[in-house]
Amino acid sequence: MIDLQDLGYAVVQVVHNFGAAAVVGGAAFMWYMAPQPASLQRKFAWLTGFGWGAQVLSGMGFGAISHYYYGKFPDIHDIAIAALVIKILCAMSGLAMVVLYLRYADGWADRQRRVAWQILFALGAIALSAAAFLRWFS
Amino acid sequence: MRTLKSLAVLLAFGCYAPLVLADDASVTISSPADGAKLSKTAQTKINYEVMPGPKGDHTHLYVDDNEVGVLRQLKGTHTLESLAPGKHEICIKIVNKGHTPIGVQQCIKVSVE
Repeated sequence: MIDLQDLGYAVVQVVHNFGAAAVVGGAAFMWYMAPQPASLQRKFAWLTGFGWGAQVLSGMGFGAISHYYYGKFPDIHDIAIAALVIKILCAMSGLAMVVLYLRYADGWADRQRRVAWQILFALGAIALSAAAFLRWFS
Repeated sequence: MRTLKSLAVLLAFGCYAPLVLADDASVTISSPADGAKLSKTAQTKINYEVMPGPKGDHTHLYVDDNEVGVLRQLKGTHTLESLAPGKHEICIKIVNKGHTPIGVQQCIKVSVE
Protein backbone atom coordinates (compact mmCIF):
# COMPACT_ATOMS: atom_id res chain seq x y z
CA MET A 1 0.00 0.00 0.00
CA ILE A 2 1.28 3.44 -0.89
CA ASP A 3 2.22 5.58 2.07
CA LEU A 4 0.31 8.86 1.76
CA GLN A 5 3.15 10.80 3.34
CA ASP A 6 5.69 9.52 0.81
CA LEU A 7 3.19 10.10 -1.98
CA GLY A 8 2.72 13.67 -0.80
CA TYR A 9 6.46 14.35 -0.71
CA ALA A 10 6.85 12.76 -4.16
CA VAL A 11 4.07 14.83 -5.75
CA VAL A 12 5.48 18.01 -4.23
CA GLN A 13 8.95 17.01 -5.46
CA VAL A 14 7.60 16.54 -9.00
CA VAL A 15 6.18 20.08 -8.96
CA HIS A 16 9.42 21.41 -7.46
CA ASN A 17 11.55 19.70 -10.12
CA PHE A 18 9.44 20.97 -13.01
CA GLY A 19 9.54 24.43 -11.46
CA ALA A 20 13.32 24.27 -11.36
CA ALA A 21 13.48 23.07 -14.96
CA ALA A 22 11.22 25.94 -16.06
CA VAL A 23 13.11 28.73 -14.28
CA VAL A 24 16.53 27.63 -15.47
CA GLY A 25 15.61 26.09 -18.82
CA GLY A 26 13.22 28.83 -19.90
CA ALA A 27 15.67 31.61 -19.13
CA ALA A 28 18.63 29.73 -20.62
CA PHE A 29 16.73 29.03 -23.83
CA MET A 30 15.67 32.66 -24.30
CA TRP A 31 19.16 33.90 -23.50
CA TYR A 32 20.84 31.43 -25.85
CA MET A 33 18.33 31.89 -28.67
CA ALA A 34 18.03 35.67 -28.40
CA PRO A 35 16.69 37.67 -30.04
CA GLN A 36 13.32 35.96 -30.45
CA PRO A 37 9.96 37.51 -31.38
CA ALA A 38 8.49 39.51 -28.50
CA SER A 39 5.40 37.29 -28.34
CA LEU A 40 7.52 34.17 -27.85
CA GLN A 41 9.64 35.86 -25.20
CA ARG A 42 6.48 36.87 -23.41
CA LYS A 43 5.29 33.25 -23.39
CA PHE A 44 8.59 32.18 -21.90
CA ALA A 45 8.34 34.93 -19.31
CA TRP A 46 5.00 33.45 -18.24
CA LEU A 47 6.57 29.98 -18.19
CA THR A 48 9.43 31.24 -16.03
CA GLY A 49 6.95 33.00 -13.74
CA PHE A 50 4.90 29.84 -13.33
CA GLY A 51 8.15 28.00 -12.65
CA TRP A 52 9.02 30.35 -9.81
CA GLY A 53 5.47 30.11 -8.50
CA ALA A 54 5.71 26.32 -8.56
CA GLN A 55 9.02 26.54 -6.70
CA VAL A 56 7.52 28.70 -3.97
CA LEU A 57 4.33 26.69 -3.55
CA SER A 58 6.05 23.30 -3.63
CA GLY A 59 8.72 24.54 -1.23
CA MET A 60 5.96 25.47 1.17
CA GLY A 61 4.41 22.09 0.42
CA PHE A 62 7.41 20.24 1.84
CA GLY A 63 7.04 22.13 5.10
CA ALA A 64 3.27 21.67 5.12
CA ILE A 65 3.49 17.90 4.78
CA SER A 66 6.03 17.69 7.60
CA HIS A 67 3.81 19.83 9.78
CA TYR A 68 0.72 17.80 8.93
CA TYR A 69 2.28 14.48 9.88
CA TYR A 70 4.62 15.46 12.72
CA GLY A 71 3.37 18.81 13.94
CA LYS A 72 6.71 20.45 13.16
CA PHE A 73 8.70 21.79 10.26
CA PRO A 74 11.89 20.18 8.93
CA ASP A 75 14.85 20.53 11.24
CA ILE A 76 17.75 21.84 9.23
CA HIS A 77 21.35 22.87 9.84
CA ASP A 78 22.63 26.46 9.70
CA ILE A 79 24.18 25.93 6.25
CA ALA A 80 20.90 24.52 4.98
CA ILE A 81 19.02 27.47 6.46
CA ALA A 82 21.35 29.84 4.61
CA ALA A 83 20.72 27.88 1.39
CA LEU A 84 16.98 28.07 1.97
CA VAL A 85 17.14 31.83 2.50
CA ILE A 86 19.10 32.17 -0.75
CA LYS A 87 16.45 30.12 -2.57
CA ILE A 88 13.67 32.27 -1.15
CA LEU A 89 15.46 35.47 -2.17
CA CYS A 90 16.02 34.09 -5.67
CA ALA A 91 12.34 33.15 -5.96
CA MET A 92 11.19 36.59 -4.83
CA SER A 93 13.62 38.29 -7.19
CA GLY A 94 12.68 35.93 -10.03
CA LEU A 95 9.00 36.62 -9.60
CA ALA A 96 9.64 40.37 -9.42
CA MET A 97 11.78 40.18 -12.57
CA VAL A 98 9.06 38.30 -14.45
CA VAL A 99 6.45 40.86 -13.38
CA LEU A 100 8.74 43.67 -14.56
CA TYR A 101 9.30 41.85 -17.83
CA LEU A 102 5.61 41.27 -18.49
CA ARG A 103 4.76 44.84 -17.53
CA TYR A 104 7.50 46.81 -19.26
CA ALA A 105 9.41 44.65 -21.76
CA ASP A 106 7.34 45.86 -24.72
CA GLY A 107 9.33 49.06 -24.58
CA TRP A 108 12.72 47.41 -24.08
CA ALA A 109 15.43 47.00 -26.68
CA ASP A 110 16.73 43.51 -27.56
CA ARG A 111 19.81 44.12 -25.46
CA GLN A 112 17.74 44.96 -22.38
CA ARG A 113 15.61 41.86 -22.84
CA ARG A 114 18.73 39.77 -23.15
CA VAL A 115 20.01 41.18 -19.87
CA ALA A 116 16.66 40.35 -18.26
CA TRP A 117 16.98 36.72 -19.38
CA GLN A 118 20.57 36.62 -18.15
CA ILE A 119 19.43 37.85 -14.74
CA LEU A 120 16.61 35.30 -14.67
CA PHE A 121 19.02 32.54 -15.64
CA ALA A 122 21.47 33.59 -12.93
CA LEU A 123 18.70 33.58 -10.31
CA GLY A 124 17.60 30.12 -11.40
CA ALA A 125 21.14 28.77 -11.40
CA ILE A 126 21.85 30.20 -7.94
CA ALA A 127 18.60 28.74 -6.58
CA LEU A 128 19.37 25.35 -8.10
CA SER A 129 22.88 25.40 -6.62
CA ALA A 130 21.53 26.39 -3.21
CA ALA A 131 19.10 23.48 -3.45
CA ALA A 132 22.00 21.05 -3.47
CA PHE A 133 23.36 22.54 -0.23
CA LEU A 134 19.89 22.51 1.28
CA ARG A 135 19.55 18.84 0.39
CA TRP A 136 22.89 17.62 1.70
CA PHE A 137 23.53 19.92 4.64
CA SER A 138 20.14 19.42 6.25
CA MET B 1 -25.38 4.72 -3.81
CA ARG B 2 -23.48 1.76 -2.45
CA THR B 3 -20.49 2.69 -4.60
CA LEU B 4 -20.68 6.23 -3.27
CA LYS B 5 -20.68 4.96 0.31
CA SER B 6 -17.71 2.74 -0.38
CA LEU B 7 -15.89 5.66 -1.94
CA ALA B 8 -16.69 7.84 1.05
CA VAL B 9 -15.36 5.20 3.45
CA LEU B 10 -12.24 4.74 1.35
CA LEU B 11 -11.64 8.47 1.25
CA ALA B 12 -12.25 8.84 4.96
CA PHE B 13 -9.70 6.19 5.86
CA GLY B 14 -7.36 6.96 2.99
CA CYS B 15 -7.05 10.59 3.99
CA TYR B 16 -6.96 9.91 7.69
CA ALA B 17 -3.51 10.80 8.88
CA PRO B 18 -3.01 10.16 12.56
CA LEU B 19 0.23 11.03 14.25
CA VAL B 20 2.67 8.68 12.62
CA LEU B 21 3.91 5.90 14.82
CA ALA B 22 7.59 5.22 14.31
CA ASP B 23 7.32 1.44 14.70
CA ASP B 24 10.51 -0.40 15.49
CA ALA B 25 12.61 2.74 15.40
CA SER B 26 15.23 3.26 18.06
CA VAL B 27 18.34 5.21 18.91
CA THR B 28 21.01 3.98 21.28
CA ILE B 29 23.95 6.07 22.40
CA SER B 30 26.33 3.59 23.97
CA SER B 31 29.00 6.12 24.86
CA PRO B 32 29.53 8.51 26.44
CA ALA B 33 27.22 7.39 29.20
CA ASP B 34 24.45 9.63 30.41
CA GLY B 35 25.92 11.89 33.10
CA ALA B 36 29.51 11.27 32.00
CA LYS B 37 32.21 13.79 32.83
CA LEU B 38 34.40 14.67 29.88
CA SER B 39 37.68 16.50 29.51
CA LYS B 40 37.51 19.89 27.82
CA THR B 41 40.71 19.15 25.91
CA ALA B 42 39.61 15.82 24.50
CA GLN B 43 37.41 15.23 21.49
CA THR B 44 34.14 13.54 22.31
CA LYS B 45 33.46 10.33 20.45
CA ILE B 46 29.85 9.33 20.28
CA ASN B 47 29.11 5.67 19.68
CA TYR B 48 25.60 5.10 18.48
CA GLU B 49 23.29 2.66 16.83
CA VAL B 50 20.09 3.56 15.02
CA MET B 51 17.12 1.58 13.75
CA PRO B 52 15.27 4.10 11.55
CA GLY B 53 12.06 2.08 11.31
CA PRO B 54 9.64 2.46 8.40
CA LYS B 55 9.22 6.22 8.81
CA GLY B 56 12.81 7.21 9.50
CA ASP B 57 15.49 7.91 6.94
CA HIS B 58 18.60 9.24 8.66
CA THR B 59 19.57 10.97 11.88
CA HIS B 60 20.53 14.41 13.04
CA LEU B 61 22.97 15.05 15.86
CA TYR B 62 22.34 17.93 18.26
CA VAL B 63 24.36 19.58 20.96
CA ASP B 64 22.29 21.79 23.25
CA ASP B 65 19.46 21.73 20.70
CA ASN B 66 21.66 22.97 17.86
CA GLU B 67 22.05 20.61 14.93
CA VAL B 68 25.74 19.88 14.49
CA GLY B 69 25.70 17.10 11.97
CA VAL B 70 23.97 14.45 9.94
CA LEU B 71 24.61 10.80 10.73
CA ARG B 72 24.16 8.78 7.57
CA GLN B 73 25.36 5.47 8.98
CA LEU B 74 23.08 3.38 11.12
CA LYS B 75 25.87 2.36 13.45
CA GLY B 76 29.17 4.02 14.11
CA THR B 77 31.18 6.66 15.85
CA HIS B 78 30.99 10.39 15.38
CA THR B 79 33.63 12.72 16.71
CA LEU B 80 32.55 16.05 18.12
CA GLU B 81 34.84 19.02 18.37
CA SER B 82 35.84 19.88 21.89
CA LEU B 83 32.92 21.08 23.94
CA ALA B 84 33.06 24.17 26.07
CA PRO B 85 33.24 23.60 29.82
CA GLY B 86 29.86 23.15 31.44
CA LYS B 87 26.83 20.97 31.07
CA HIS B 88 25.67 19.89 27.63
CA GLU B 89 22.91 17.81 26.18
CA ILE B 90 23.73 15.58 23.22
CA CYS B 91 20.81 14.19 21.24
CA ILE B 92 20.43 11.93 18.24
CA LYS B 93 17.05 12.22 16.53
CA ILE B 94 15.69 10.09 13.73
CA VAL B 95 14.29 12.22 10.92
CA ASN B 96 12.32 11.37 7.79
CA LYS B 97 13.31 12.07 4.18
CA GLY B 98 12.10 15.64 4.64
CA HIS B 99 14.42 16.15 7.65
CA THR B 100 11.54 16.26 10.12
CA PRO B 101 12.11 14.49 13.45
CA ILE B 102 9.72 11.55 13.71
CA GLY B 103 9.74 11.59 17.52
CA VAL B 104 12.31 8.88 18.18
CA GLN B 105 15.48 10.11 19.85
CA GLN B 106 17.94 9.57 22.63
CA CYS B 107 19.53 12.35 24.58
CA ILE B 108 22.32 12.22 27.13
CA LYS B 109 23.65 14.86 29.45
CA VAL B 110 27.38 15.29 29.88
CA SER B 111 29.48 17.73 31.80
CA VAL B 112 32.75 19.02 30.47
CA GLU B 113 35.47 20.02 32.91
